[in-house]
Amino acid sequence: MTTTIIWTIAIITLLGALLAVVLYLVAKKFKVEEDPRIDEVEKVLPGANCGGCGHAGCRAFAQSCVEAPNLDNNFCPVGGNDTMKKVASVLGVEVKEKAPMVAVVRCNGTCENRPRTNEYGGYSSCRVKAALYSGDTGCSFGCLGCGDCVSVCQFGAIAMNPETGLPEVDQEKCTACGACVKACPKAIIELRNKGARNKRVFVSCVNRDKGAVARKACKAACIGCGKCAKACPFGAITVENNLAYIDFTKCKLCKKCVAECPTGAIHAVNFPVLKPKPAPVAKPAEVPVKAEAAPAQKEQAAVNPQPTEKKEE
Amino acid sequence: MKKTFSIGGIHPNDSKISSDCKINVLPVPSTVCISMAQHLGAPANPVVAAGDKVKAGQVIGEPAGFISAFVHSSVSGTVKSVGPRKDLAGNNVNHIEIAVEGDEWADGIDMTETIVREIPDNETIISRIKANGVVGLGGATFPTHVKLCPPPGKKADFLILNGAECEPYLTSDYRIMLEKPEQIVIGAAIMRQVLGNPRTIIGIEDNKPEAVKTMSSVVAKLKVLSPSFHGIEIMPLKKKYPQGGEKQLIDAVTGRQVKSMGLPIDVGAVVQNVATSLAVYDAVQKNRPLVTNTLTVTGDCLPGDRQRNFLFRIGTPLSFIVDQIGGIPEEAVKVVSGGPMMGKAISNLDATTVKGSSSLLFLTAAQTVRKAESNCIRCGKCTEACPMGLEPFLLNKLARNGMMEELEENAVQDCIECGCCLYSCPANIPLLDIIRIAKGDVIKIIRGRQAAAKK
Repeated sequence: MTTTIIWTIAIITLLGALLAVVLYLVAKKFKVEEDPRIDEVEKVLPGANCGGCGHAGCRAFAQSCVEAPNLDNNFCPVGGNDTMKKVASVLGVEVKEKAPMVAVVRCNGTCENRPRTNEYGGYSSCRVKAALYSGDTGCSFGCLGCGDCVSVCQFGAIAMNPETGLPEVDQEKCTACGACVKACPKAIIELRNKGARNKRVFVSCVNRDKGAVARKACKAACIGCGKCAKACPFGAITVENNLAYIDFTKCKLCKKCVAECPTGAIHAVNFPVLKPKPAPVAKPAEVPVKAEAAPAQKEQAAVNPQPTEKKEE
Repeated sequence: MKKTFSIGGIHPNDSKISSDCKINVLPVPSTVCISMAQHLGAPANPVVAAGDKVKAGQVIGEPAGFISAFVHSSVSGTVKSVGPRKDLAGNNVNHIEIAVEGDEWADGIDMTETIVREIPDNETIISRIKANGVVGLGGATFPTHVKLCPPPGKKADFLILNGAECEPYLTSDYRIMLEKPEQIVIGAAIMRQVLGNPRTIIGIEDNKPEAVKTMSSVVAKLKVLSPSFHGIEIMPLKKKYPQGGEKQLIDAVTGRQVKSMGLPIDVGAVVQNVATSLAVYDAVQKNRPLVTNTLTVTGDCLPGDRQRNFLFRIGTPLSFIVDQIGGIPEEAVKVVSGGPMMGKAISNLDATTVKGSSSLLFLTAAQTVRKAESNCIRCGKCTEACPMGLEPFLLNKLARNGMMEELEENAVQDCIECGCCLYSCPANIPLLDIIRIAKGDVIKIIRGRQAAAKK
């Protein structure tokens, strides 16, 4: 009995030792040479594995950073410039600062602006809905309101507003990873420059129908009249296929276009809220614009109280 | 024992309420809007401009590519406008709007009712089918002349005429089989001649005994008259949805199965709908372009005396048809174009009829409102029902997780979107909705790969 136990222990110990040696040799022989900097870079990354950089995850991004000659084609939208600086210091290379971006929902189709023409009773998913038909309003370009963008956001930065039926981006939480941009079947969401002090001007509409058709479908649609393009002193606005687009690399935030837009399709956010002037210049086009722009300003002001402080200074 | 297809299938209530309604000729509306995208493939290019006078049957759109078709005016009058309008799904499509003046047909079109039994030579047949814009009227609206010219090296052993009309409610094919059987059989003989005289079988589901009887007696009569009608037979099929699916019908009639991503011609079969056969007859024997078709107006909530089978002109506004039957019934919450299984809900009644319009179906809230989705219990009912032998529950899981390679391995691309899985699911999971999207994505990947391989 005792000998059996002794023999068993002895054999197993011997076997263990033998296999350990084999494992050691195999590990030596087939060792995968990996740049130790990959681990270091990975450590400074946010670790969200969101795929916003275009790579499969943070490790794949780190590998790409280490292998690339410079960091020009690699950018972590979640970590932003701070993270990229850390990556650069690990690798000992230069990094160009990128302007921070934010997701922008380009649709004015609130329940009020864009009356529903039919009722959708199918599965609640924008992709499914878009594959079936043009949507439950007269506008075949606008937001479908099923919230595919909300469900793909890993940072809780986008939420549906039940009052308007449109998604709203929380600019503090948004990391500009671009997941919502990919998820939107109507290509409404765009990544734009966050802008100086978060000030942004953009055309909040993607309707390419002719003016009359677009206006009939939605009160605040871009009708492609081109007034904004004429008003812009910097040539930042182009009108193509009945739709204006503001190039954020050229826009100097002068807001001249906002005043010109007859439907209020152009939004200016995070600008200081001006006190209503005692006798405003009687420009008929301006009245609806202010009415349109006001709620957006209010909502942004609630998130970011900076602009109001600025005014007091 | 009557034949049917071997895999899957379901038995929905056939609800052929309007089967006794004779085909009425729908009055011509005051304006028509004719879509340029009435067929599978590239939309036609408009060849008329605002202000032009057109006659009924005149070409107003020319094919823009190999898989495309001519579009003809269905009325005589003046072109009011050419430009984008919303179709029944609300998408912008080029339309030609014509104000109707009189009813004058273009030269060379035989509008008499005399039946022509002499079949011309093959060249004439193909050129007339092409010139008269005939497309498949079974649902896919694939240009018929393309289907009747198999690629070199492939030969048709079977020409199968689809008289199954397996979609519940629809009765337009049934009515034409009762009212225009001779024309359909002559149309079949024409297509048979083009394909090199294969065995020709007209498959009809056994819930239409009258159609089987009428068609059989007409075939027997024509066989005595001319040898060109030998080799045409009627085959009653056991009722099962989706018998009218091309691959299912081939399986039911011949026992051959089309391989994954294959075409019917790969197993030596060509399938045409009975309505297409009628259009072929009109095009070849009468030189009539495809500007009319039969449409069923039906629904449980529509009283019996308002049910209709209409012979309509293409471009007729749907709202005009609704007015003809006295408006939308009160209980109806949804209007569907096509059958309840595969039809499309109409979001825009200002849209107009197209070559392939087959019905206006009114559905009540009880028939349409979706029940809440619950968890998959792996009962396998969807797998049992799938006529393509797929596993919808698995595809659903894979699709929700975006697993494209696995979806392709599990043949999501073979889905025919018949809706059997959705119909049979006790957990009310929107299987088809999700699988359809995944199928589109996978087919895009496959096409991309094929294009890359060609380069």
